[in-house]
Amino acid sequence: MATIQHEYDRKHLDERNEYKASTKAILFDSSRCSGCKACMVACKTWNQLPSPTATNSQPWYASLQCPYDLGSNTRLTITFREMESTNPGRPIDWAIGRRACMHCTDAACVTVCPTGALFYDEETGMVSHNAEKCIGCSYCRGACPFDVPRHTGSDDLSGVNIRINKCTGCVDRIKHGMDPACVTTCQPGALTFGDRDEMIAIAEKRVEVLKAKGFDKARVYGATEMGGTHVIYVLKYDIAGYELPENPGISWMTTASEIMKPVLGIGFIALIAGLGGCLLSGVGYKRDELRYDEVNHDVINVETGEVVKHIDKEAGER
Amino acid sequence: MTGHYCDLKNADVLLSCGSNNLENHPVSSKWVQRALDAGATWIVVDPRYTRTASQADIYCPIRSGTDIAFYGGLINYIIENRLEQTEYVNEYTNATYLIKDTYDFDPETGFFSGWIEEKHKYDTSMWGYQIESESDGSQPWMSAPGVPEYTPKSIKKIKRIESIDDTSNPDYDHSVWAIMKKHYSRYTIDVVCDICGMDAETLELVYKTYASTGAPEKAGTILYALGQTQHHYGSENTRIMTLVQLLLGNAGVAGGGVNALRGEPNVQGGTDMAMLVYDWPGYLKWPSVENTPTLRKWLETQPNAQGYYVNKPKFIVSGLKEWYGKNAQVENDYGYDWLPKVPKNGDIYTTIGTFELMDQGIMKGYFAWGQNPAVSDPNAKFNRNAMCNLDWLVVADWVVTATASFWDAPDMQDRKKDIKTEVYFMPAALIYEKSGTILNSGRWMQWRQKAVEPVDQAKPDYEMCDMLWREIVNLYQDEGGACPEAILNVKWDYYVDGKIDPRPVAWALNGYKIDDSTNLGAAAPELLDSFTGLAADGTTANAIWIYGGFYANNADPYDPSIQRISRRHTNEKTGQLVPDKDPGGLGLYPNWAFSWPANRRVIYNRASADANGKPWNPNRVLVEWTGETWIRNDVPDFAWGTVDAPNPPEKCTAFFMKDEEHANFVTTGMKDAPLPEHYEPFETPVEKNLLNGSINSPMIKFADNESVKKGDRKQYPIVATTYSITEHWQTGAQTRMCPVLDEIQPRQYIEISEQLAKEKGIANGDDVIVFNNRSSVKVSALVTKRIQPLKVHGETVHLIGMLHHWDWTNRYSKGEVVNELTPNVGDPNSYIPEYKAFLVDVKKA
Repeated sequence: MATIQHEYDRKHLDERNEYKASTKAILFDSSRCSGCKACMVACKTWNQLPSPTATNSQPWYASLQCPYDLGSNTRLTITFREMESTNPGRPIDWAIGRRACMHCTDAACVTVCPTGALFYDEETGMVSHNAEKCIGCSYCRGACPFDVPRHTGSDDLSGVNIRINKCTGCVDRIKHGMDPACVTTCQPGALTFGDRDEMIAIAEKRVEVLKAKGFDKARVYGATEMGGTHVIYVLKYDIAGYELPENPGISWMTTASEIMKPVLGIGFIALIAGLGGCLLSGVGYKRDELRYDEVNHDVINVETGEVVKHIDKEAGER
Repeated sequence: MTGHYCDLKNADVLLSCGSNNLENHPVSSKWVQRALDAGATWIVVDPRYTRTASQADIYCPIRSGTDIAFYGGLINYIIENRLEQTEYVNEYTNATYLIKDTYDFDPETGFFSGWIEEKHKYDTSMWGYQIESESDGSQPWMSAPGVPEYTPKSIKKIKRIESIDDTSNPDYDHSVWAIMKKHYSRYTIDVVCDICGMDAETLELVYKTYASTGAPEKAGTILYALGQTQHHYGSENTRIMTLVQLLLGNAGVAGGGVNALRGEPNVQGGTDMAMLVYDWPGYLKWPSVENTPTLRKWLETQPNAQGYYVNKPKFIVSGLKEWYGKNAQVENDYGYDWLPKVPKNGDIYTTIGTFELMDQGIMKGYFAWGQNPAVSDPNAKFNRNAMCNLDWLVVADWVVTATASFWDAPDMQDRKKDIKTEVYFMPAALIYEKSGTILNSGRWMQWRQKAVEPVDQAKPDYEMCDMLWREIVNLYQDEGGACPEAILNVKWDYYVDGKIDPRPVAWALNGYKIDDSTNLGAAAPELLDSFTGLAADGTTANAIWIYGGFYANNADPYDPSIQRISRRHTNEKTGQLVPDKDPGGLGLYPNWAFSWPANRRVIYNRASADANGKPWNPNRVLVEWTGETWIRNDVPDFAWGTVDAPNPPEKCTAFFMKDEEHANFVTTGMKDAPLPEHYEPFETPVEKNLLNGSINSPMIKFADNESVKKGDRKQYPIVATTYSITEHWQTGAQTRMCPVLDEIQPRQYIEISEQLAKEKGIANGDDVIVFNNRSSVKVSALVTKRIQPLKVHGETVHLIGMLHHWDWTNRYSKGEVVNELTPNVGDPNSYIPEYKAFLVDVKKA
C-alpha cells in the first residue's frame, strides 16, 4: 500500500505543481496575531453563518478559545495554548493559532468526495465547495488530515439535509479583487493574502527574525505539507501549540478510493457502502472535539467528558 | 494622545503600562507591529500576562495600583545614572526654576506642605516659584472696544539656576531639579520591587531599556488607558508619565508622547466637550461660585500672563456669544451671569456623588444618556438602590439597558412593586443612523455620514436634545420658572430648512463671525479659518476653541464633504489628491481628516528640535529651522511667525501653553501633589506604605461615605481588578445583543492563578463566588498561568481579574454585575473611581 500511496503522491504533485507557483495563499503569522478574533466575526458575517441565540446557550470551555473548535456553522476559530515557558522572561509560551481549512494542493477531501461538491478553484488554488452537490456522506471529514470539514444540518435525523460547511477561501471575494474577509479585518497584519510564493517568502523571512529573537522553534508550516497548502503559517512556538499534525498525509484508504473510482467504475453509492465503514471507524486522522484542561493537563472529550489522555508535564510531555 | 496612532511606528521603545492595547485598541497593533518591524523594543507592564504582553519583547508584572512606585523608580534610575536628555531638560522644562522655601514633603507623614486640615485640601501656592520681578501683562487687543474690562495677570520673571548642573549655586537645593531628585531618591529598585512585586532583574531591564530613549535621537512612547487612570490617584499616575517623558526628551518628538488610548469611540470628544462638572469646552474652566463668580474674575484668574493662553478671553467671550447670541453684549458681561455656576460643593455632583445625592433623596431626576451606570459605576448595587428614590429617570440608549430596567434586577424583585420611579426610555439612533463628527484618540476628527434611517422611533441624540430644549423653552414662556434668562436668552438656531441639523452645530464648533442679525437657521455664517481669528470683542462666536478650522470652507458650509474634516489625502477645496500625502515619511498624513488643534498631529513639536531648531533626529523631522525659515512637516506648535516673517528658534518656546512656557516637573496645577507620590489603593493588601507614612492619598475623595463599606486586608486578602476584553464592549449592552460576539466570548469569568485556585479548591471552569462588604457575585473561573501571585512586602499577594461586560439584561447572554464589588471612591482632580484595585475574597460556589 505504501508504494501505491507514494506513486500516487508523486503523480498528483507533478500535475498540480504546474499552477501552484502562481496561485494564491493566506499567510497567518501567529507571532503577530493578538487573538482578537475579529477574523472569526468577519468570517461569520461575510458568509452569513448563524450563532446560537438561546439565552446563555453558547458553550464555554473555560478558555479564551471560543468556539473551541470548528463546527457546523463555524469555519474558523482562533486557538490558545498555554504551554510551559521556554524563557524565564515570560510565564508561559502562549501559542495563538488558527484553525480553518488549510486549502491543500493535495486535498484529501477533494479526493474522497464522491460528488465533486468539494473542488479546487483552479485560479486561486483554494479548496472550495458547492454545497448543493453535497450528499452529506461526511467522508471528507474522515479524510482530512486536519479534521476541518464540518456539516450543517446534522441535527436533522433524516440526514438528507447534511451539507458541507468549511472555509471556501472567500473565492467569491477574491474574484472581485478583494481579500478574504478574515484578512481584510486583521489589524496587526497577522493575516495577509497574496501570491503563494510571495507569502512563503514573507513567512521564511519572518521565521528568521523570530529565530534571531530567540524563538528557536519558529517555523513555516504549509510550504510543502499536503503538496503545499494555500494557507501558510508562521508558527512562533513549538508546533505542539497549534493543533497541527507534524506530517499530515492522505490515508491509503483515501488514495485507494481515488484510484478505484475510475478503474472499477464504482458509483458513489457503492463507494459509500464499501468505504464508509473503514473511514468512519477511525482509519486515518480522526479528531474528536477535545478540550485541554489547563489545570490538570488532561485532554478531555467534550461530548463524553472522558479523559482521553493525561499529559505528564513533569515527564516533559506536551 | 499627544501624538496619534500612526506615530507609534516611529518609536524606538514602546511602553504599554496600564493599557492592554492589543485587546482593547486593536488598531494600535498595526502601528506597534510596524515599530517592531523597524527594530523597536516593546515593554508591557501589566498585572496579567495579556494578549498584549504575549507579543512584547519584555514583560514585567506589577501589582495593581502601584504605578507611581514603578515610575518613581524609573525617574530615580534616570537621575542617578544621568540618563536624562540634559539639553532638553535645561531648555524646555522648569527643572532650573526655583521653588519657594515653603515647599516641603515629609516622608514620615506622607503629606506635602500646605495641608489645610479643616478644608481637607492643600494650599497649592506653597509649591509655587520664587519670583524675581513682575511686569505688566497687558496687550493692545485687551483694551479694544467690546473687550470686557479686566486687569491681566502680571508677567512674572522666575528665579532660575543656570542649569541642572549648577550645583554650586547657593539656591540649587530649591531648584525643581534638586527637589525632584531628592523626592524620588527614596524610590530605589529594592523598594519598588517590594511594593510592586516584580523581580529586580526584570525591573532593571525595563528601566535600562526605557531610559535608553534619553539619547537625543531616540524616541520612547508610553501607551496607557484605564489601568492608569482608574485609581484614586489616577491623575497623578498620568502626570508621572509626563515627568518620565520630559526627563528623557520624549515629549513633542515623533514616536514619543504620553498616549492615552481612549475608550468609547467618542470619549475624546466627550472630554473635549467638557461633559464634566468643572469644565468648559476646550479644556477651560466652567464658572464657579467660589473662584469665578463674575466674568471679570474669570478673566483675571484663568488666562495666563504669557504664552498662548493669554488668549483665553477670546475663547470665553466667543463661547458666550455662541451661547447667548445678540443677547450677549459687553454691557451685560456677555451674559456670563446667566450661566449656572458650579457650587462650592461641586464634587458631589460628579458621578460618584450623584448617587449619594439620590440616596439622600436630594436628586430627584436623572438622565442616563448613552451611559449605563447601573452596571458601569462603582458600588453598583448601592447605586441601583439609590435610583429607587428618583421621581423620574430618562434613559437614551440603543437597547433597554440595566439602568433603564434597574427596578427589574434580580435582587429588586421583592420591592419592585414599591418603586415609584417613572422611567422614560428614548431609543437612540445607531452611529450609522445619524450624521455628525467622530473623534479618535489621536484627536482626528472625521465626518460620518448617515448610512441608513434610524429604526422605528429611534432618533439621533441632537434631535432628542432639540425636542427637550424646545419643550423647556415653551414651559418657561408659558409658566415662567427659576432663572428665566439662562433659558430664554439662549441662541438656539441649529436648523437647516427648519429641522435640527448637525451642520450648523459644526459651524458653531468651528467658529464664525457674528453680529446681532446672525441666525444660523436662516443663513450660513462666515466661517473662521482658525481659532487665531477669534476675538474677545463680541464679533466672533465659537463653542469650543480647540476645534477651530475643522469646518471652515465657506464655498459651501452646508457640504461637509468639502471641509477639512472630510479629507482623504485630498485638498478639501479642490477635492484633488495631494502630491505628497506624508511629508517627512512619519505618518503625519496632514491631508487626512483634521486633527485638533490647528491640524497639528504631534503636540509640543517644537521640542523635537534643539534650541537652534535642529531636529534631535535628522530622520524624524517634524519641524526644522534652516537658518532662514521653518520646515514644517507638522503644523508648528509654537509661534513660528509667517512664511514672510518667520520667528527664529530662540523666540519659539516649546511649551507655550504654559504660563512660564516651560514644561512642569514640580507643579501647582494638581490638587493632591506637586510631584506624584506613591500611595496605596483605598483597599490594599499591605499593612503600610513603604514610601511614606500615609496609606491612601490625603486627598482621596468620598472615602468617608458610609456607602463605601471599606474592606480590610485580613478579611479580604485578594486583590481584584476589573477590565474589558476585546470581544465585548463596556457594559455589554450592545455587544451582548450580537450573537456572533457572544459566541466568541459567552461567559462572564474571572481569571485566577493556579496557585490561588489550588488553595481554594477551585478547578478550571468552576462557578465561584467573589465577595466583599459591598456585594457578592457568582461568576465562572478561568484558571491560568497568565496570572501569577506576586511577592509584596515579603508576602504572597494573589490577584484576580474580573470582566465587567455582563448584567441581568439581554436575551442572548446574561451574567452578574461585577461593579457591585468596586469601591465608590475617587480621584480629587478627575473624580474617576478606583475600579482597578480593591479587595475581595473568593470561594467555590
